[in-house]
Amino acid sequence: MNDQNRVLIRKGARELTEQEVDAVNGAFKVNHTLTPCFIDKKQQLLNGDQSIGECG
Amino acid sequence: MKLIVLAPEDDNHTAPIKWAMEKAGQKVVCWAGLSWTDEGQSSLLMNGDDTLILGGHSVDAGDVIWIRRPEVPVPNPKVSESDKKFASLEYRCFYHSIAYFLETLPVWCINKYSAARVMIQKAVQLQLARKCGLKTPATLMSNHPAAVREFFARENSRNICKGFTPHVWQKEGKMSVAITETFELASDQLPSDEVLTYAPAIYQERVPKEYDIRMVLMGNHIYSYALKNKKQALDWRQDAGLGHVTAELVPTPPDVEKGVLEFARRSGLCFGSLDFGVDAKGTWWFLEINEEGQFLWIDQFNREARLLEKFCAFVTAPQGSTLPLEARQDLFPSLQEYEELLKNEQVPPVGRPRQEDPFLSMEA
Repeated sequence: MNDQNRVLIRKGARELTEQEVDAVNGAFKVNHTLTPCFIDKKQQLLNGDQSIGECG
Repeated sequence: MKLIVLAPEDDNHTAPIKWAMEKAGQKVVCWAGLSWTDEGQSSLLMNGDDTLILGGHSVDAGDVIWIRRPEVPVPNPKVSESDKKFASLEYRCFYHSIAYFLETLPVWCINKYSAARVMIQKAVQLQLARKCGLKTPATLMSNHPAAVREFFARENSRNICKGFTPHVWQKEGKMSVAITETFELASDQLPSDEVLTYAPAIYQERVPKEYDIRMVLMGNHIYSYALKNKKQALDWRQDAGLGHVTAELVPTPPDVEKGVLEFARRSGLCFGSLDFGVDAKGTWWFLEINEEGQFLWIDQFNREARLLEKFCAFVTAPQGSTLPLEARQDLFPSLQEYEELLKNEQVPPVGRPRQEDPFLSMEA
């Protein structure tokens, strides 16, 4: 990580390797998952408990 | 009665619930949100009777509206560049009119948009939880360096740091990622004042928890699951994704149940996922509520939970019903059945690309 001018939260973020991302995606025998924090590798999005959706 | 879900049909909770409801003979329609397309168009007519049409579906008395995950309003991309900003604001305002107007109709909203908008705020949640008798950790939300340092200077304190929203950083050209997570932070680890102003954050007394609780609120019904992992991680979410967590149904202490139901009454929320930490003395500490939090994953970790069936029973029961959901859950098929069909491609796949993910950033 480039430490220059990064937010504190980024410094405390959990690093997941590609293998771990794969493990999350493949944790269930379905092609999706429902957990509170899920990185959809194919779609490159975070799907979880919170959704900004139309809340702005 | 029909269930109107404000979410794309392929949303990962909407799809199995729609399937289960329809298998049980219930009518379900989805509206992904306001957009310029045929299926995204809406009309609200006030002329004697009030008529609201969402993507060709009329909202009728007795309907149940599940405001699950509506997408951000989408204006017609062909609109002149000179009018884009105006059109975008008009779309947004019209959506807000629709969402709030739903509450004035003889329908049941899960949840009311006004309640959801207020209760998505973590500060409001914590304060209301405390007022309802739930135990909450000392919390500071701030971008003021002096205030942060003062909070961390409390005698014998252990503290954590977390964000208001989740976020993922992905390295350019790589699939490895970094995900926001609650982490412990000591006073001597605090960064410079400058860094503390880069983004506000939530600083909180560390709950000396032995394990976590994910609670699902469905009207007057509360289901609590103890989440345990061998690592006793501070933040269980990623471990859940990796399958390292167990979810065991546990009784909710009466004082906590009373506090949660009071919280629901005062907040106006009838549905949500709540997080608690339980310490060595057995005290339940309220951490947060996500009014549209994920809940079907618990069925994957604990097949006896049957939250999919319970949710279907919940939305097809009269609003405010106190009859046990278990009495009607057998009317609906299980998530496991859906997963089998999904695996064999007998139901449509879930998920689809979205225009933009607000929770994802690329980094060098």
